[in-house]
Amino acid sequence: MVALFSISGRFHKLLKPVVVGFMLAACLVLSCKAAEVAAQLDRNVVPAGSPAMLTLRISGGRASQPEIPEVPNLMVLPRGQSHGVEIVNGNMTTSATYTYAVGSNTPGDYQIPAIEVTVDGKKFTTMPIKLKVLANGAAQPPPGVAPNAGGAPPAGGGEPDAGDKRFGFLTISPVAQDRSYVYVGEIAPVRIQAWIPAGAHASLRSGIQPEGKAFTLHHVSDRPQQTEEIKDGKRYLVVTWYGGISATKAGKYPAALSVDVNVAVRDTAARQPRRRMGGPFDDPFFDSMFDDMNAPVIQKDVTLKSDDQEIEVRALPTDGKPAGFTGAVGDFRFDAWDMSAQWRTGEPGQIAARLSGTGNFALMNAPDLTPPDAWKTYPSKGEFTPGDIASFAGSKSFQFSAVPRKGGPQDVALSFSFFNPKSGTYQTITSPVKKLQVAGQDVVEDNHAVADSPVKEPAKKDEDYLVGQHPALSSPASLVPLVSRPEFRWLLGIGGGLCVLGGIIAWLRAWREDPARVARKALERVTREALATAGRCADAGDVAGFFAAARLAIQHRLGALWNQPAQAITLADISARIPDESPVSRFFREADRHAYGYQSAGGIPPHWQALLDDALAYLTAGAC
Amino acid sequence: MNMKFLPGLICLLLGNLSAFAADLAAFEQANHEFHADQFATAAATYEKILATGGPHATVYYNLGNCYQRLGQYGHAILAYERARLLTPRDPDLLANLALARKAAAAFGDSGEHRYMDAAANYLSRNEWSWLIAGGALFLGGLAAACGIGGLPRRSLRQTAIAAAALALVGMIAGTAALYHRRDEASHGVVLSDKAEVRLSPFEKADSLGSPGVGRTVHIRDHNGGFSYIEVPGTDLHGWLADKDVSPILSR
Repeated sequence: MVALFSISGRFHKLLKPVVVGFMLAACLVLSCKAAEVAAQLDRNVVPAGSPAMLTLRISGGRASQPEIPEVPNLMVLPRGQSHGVEIVNGNMTTSATYTYAVGSNTPGDYQIPAIEVTVDGKKFTTMPIKLKVLANGAAQPPPGVAPNAGGAPPAGGGEPDAGDKRFGFLTISPVAQDRSYVYVGEIAPVRIQAWIPAGAHASLRSGIQPEGKAFTLHHVSDRPQQTEEIKDGKRYLVVTWYGGISATKAGKYPAALSVDVNVAVRDTAARQPRRRMGGPFDDPFFDSMFDDMNAPVIQKDVTLKSDDQEIEVRALPTDGKPAGFTGAVGDFRFDAWDMSAQWRTGEPGQIAARLSGTGNFALMNAPDLTPPDAWKTYPSKGEFTPGDIASFAGSKSFQFSAVPRKGGPQDVALSFSFFNPKSGTYQTITSPVKKLQVAGQDVVEDNHAVADSPVKEPAKKDEDYLVGQHPALSSPASLVPLVSRPEFRWLLGIGGGLCVLGGIIAWLRAWREDPARVARKALERVTREALATAGRCADAGDVAGFFAAARLAIQHRLGALWNQPAQAITLADISARIPDESPVSRFFREADRHAYGYQSAGGIPPHWQALLDDALAYLTAGAC
Repeated sequence: MNMKFLPGLICLLLGNLSAFAADLAAFEQANHEFHADQFATAAATYEKILATGGPHATVYYNLGNCYQRLGQYGHAILAYERARLLTPRDPDLLANLALARKAAAAFGDSGEHRYMDAAANYLSRNEWSWLIAGGALFLGGLAAACGIGGLPRRSLRQTAIAAAALALVGMIAGTAALYHRRDEASHGVVLSDKAEVRLSPFEKADSLGSPGVGRTVHIRDHNGGFSYIEVPGTDLHGWLADKDVSPILSR
């Protein structure tokens, strides 16, 4: 057993590099699949005034927008684009198909030159294609003759089969459309789903195309979503695109889309009953599984077509159509607009504006400058920025040149008119007004004056107005503002700390210089000095001096309490406000007695000292 | 101690002077390249100065001009915006920034509060910050001076009260301006016209649309080489590859 595991481990060690190498080689082979670019016309001969359809198919990588070279008298109009996927064994390869209507009003032999396309950074070119434009009334190619004489035959053989749902089918459903009709020019967002039977191998041979010419398909998403779903008991791989359809003329038309697909499915209807050979799998339970494996594979070019849905297309109302309406259908608003600050009559300047919203941006032209009689405008350049996956919402920026015809102050604004299919009415929106001062005199004009000589054509590029380089090197600084740096908190802290410190110092100063406090301190000092004098007199046996000093101390205390000058307090005042038995009155009487006649010698008796202490204590206790 | 500190300080000063002299020489060389129409070379030289010598307003401005001449409007707007952080009232810079925005068709917000925006943008965020910090320091110093020396004279008291009120008004205005512009720290500029906002931060995630080159966006989050952005004035928000967007304040 141990030996068996050991052999198995070595076998895995040997097998691992082989498997990895095989996978690398497989990746290399898959990645080496070259990109392809092919162009073909659906017919090579058309009458004058009628178009042929040019299909440019790019597969195997992400491609740039192709540019069809210009040919004199030959009109090339884009009719739509679609992006598809090729699914083989779960591997997905993207492809893009651009459709153009090509034709001319002038009969003759034309050649569409080689079309250059950049795919994943590499340039590819198609072969030139010839187109013969016959004069009106000339013989048409008879019906039944393959119109594409120069095109490649369909791969896989056989006529495309549009009705057999074994190979899948296409559905189309509106997205958030609450009306049963659309207006001419309106883009109705739709969800397009290709239902491929699970297990089938499918590759798209064309982009999604509208059936008939009543509708045009727009902005089909270039990265479809893939899901697996079960419908009517069958499992399907569902590829979902989003796009928009719009009608070009009023009426009731069937709307349908189609896509050419090469599908390989097992033909279970053609499977042979399995012969019973005995053994463990010889059981009816395994019949279905083995019969499916034995069923032959059918590969076929089919056209998946959605069911016709009749859609009413209403013409835009003629009533209430604004003068500036140029065909925009949707719901739009001004995002921003800007114009030069300096204007002079006859001199061109640049104006830029951006509108956003939902609707048919392809039909949107630049807004009008108002007042219209004061300005001449030139054709604009517009650039669309999609805002959602189906390019139904987004914004469009315009740049155009304008020349003021009138000098002086002006209130300038942009106005834009569109038809709102939700409300069924025309709307005109106006940008915020800018106040301008246009220098110069009014341009004197006849009918063509402004368009011709007095006005310079706006030929100068913006870069020519660029202010030049700064010659001096500035000192280095930080891009990060102080508020986002820690120093900011430190500085605020220091400022706050200084405020607090200043407040504390100011409070201390006010406390120290308080007059009541100063007066109290002075009183205490003189009282203390008087008592000290009294003490010294007592020690010296000077009775008169003792009583005079002690009397003064009591007067100071009473003066502070009664808010009177100390020297003005007499025994009469004290007798009037303090009881006669109080130590203060008794001491004051004794002091008066000694001051006005009674002379004693031989020292201060202790009871006088005690009476003084009682009097001071009485005053300190606040009894008076 | 002083004897050891002094040579170090002198070396530091000399080193700084030497670096500035090198930047100055490179700056003059880049200007010369610009005037010789070698815009790409000049841009590379300016970038080198910024990498070695730190942010200079004039270098960012001149770099923006190079990118403008090269038609790289996203990079031009980014350089001008960075210069505007340092010299917000430079008329040359404002004129060229407007040209770049016009060329890229990259507009700012429509501006519901036009006067408020104009007032708040008159000073840079750095200058508003210094106004607040200076006001706080002034008020603190004034309070300390009043505490220590007092204000014995009436005229002195009135002057001090007026100055304190002025400082307080400046601080309030600065705080209001910084609050109004609080989102600017997250501003970024879209560098590529092929930039696509994606549903998830993966290269193969579904595209939700393109914000357009030069567009100022709000960067809200960052995840594995992608930044979550919101495009002001639109409903477009999602993940944008880091190579396609750069914050105005560098990462």
